[in-house]
Amino acid sequence: MAMTRTISLAIDSRPECIELLSHALRGLCGLTALPSVEIAEIELAMVEAVNNAVEHAYRGEPGHRVVVELHLSPGHLGLAVRDRGEPMDPGQLAGSTETLKPDRADPATWHPRGRGLAIIRSCMDSVEYQARNGVNVLAMSRKLDRTGPGSGS
Amino acid sequence: MVLTHRNVDGIDIVALAGRLVMADVPQVRQRLLAVVEQGQGKLALDLAEVSFMDSSGLSVLVSVFKAARLKNGDVALLRLNPTVRSLIELTRLHQIFAIFDDEAAALARLR
Repeated sequence: MAMTRTISLAIDSRPECIELLSHALRGLCGLTALPSVEIAEIELAMVEAVNNAVEHAYRGEPGHRVVVELHLSPGHLGLAVRDRGEPMDPGQLAGSTETLKPDRADPATWHPRGRGLAIIRSCMDSVEYQARNGVNVLAMSRKLDRTGPGSGS
Repeated sequence: MVLTHRNVDGIDIVALAGRLVMADVPQVRQRLLAVVEQGQGKLALDLAEVSFMDSSGLSVLVSVFKAARLKNGDVALLRLNPTVRSLIELTRLHQIFAIFDDEAAALARLR
């Protein structure tokens, strides 16, 4: 019977720790038959979500815990990023479907920031955010088109 | 992240190598802004060896572009790998950056 397999990884809320999650995620995605370009997209979504936790929820302050849960099942990959910092305005996620439109002729559109959530949305099939009882969770999922040897089937 | 800087006829060429992510951003931003400040504001960024970039890396590119334009200069992106090119296009930043596969073409644009 197909099983979902789950692993939790935790880092301290420091930017230099995020790369540890990247390496771990790439290794775990190697259990699937995902091509490298798709693994890179999933890695990017996770990095953006963890960046948000470190930079916004914890306001760049080290010493807090960011947890990433990876759920692998046949045909499906789920990621949840949890923190206990300042919650995000849920409206930000809803508004992230509107990608910034930079225009070379208009300096007012040269925004350095504000692309993370739109990137997450484009890399994953579904994205949900919940802040409850002091815990913030950004949950993302993506269908896996092919079933790999270790995808849980 | 490794930065290699050279200057060709007044145009700064900086090659980045490694991952351009949040942990690297303060150092890379500072060094690139210094290059723009000290030079003519004409910068070719060679990203061939950048294996991964996130939105904080993009923020560096945009900040450097803004600084260069303030000096009536420009920033050209050079030799993007498929992952970085995909990110640039996804975020529509190809609308503001000139992108080249060939250094000579980038230098011609910046002259």
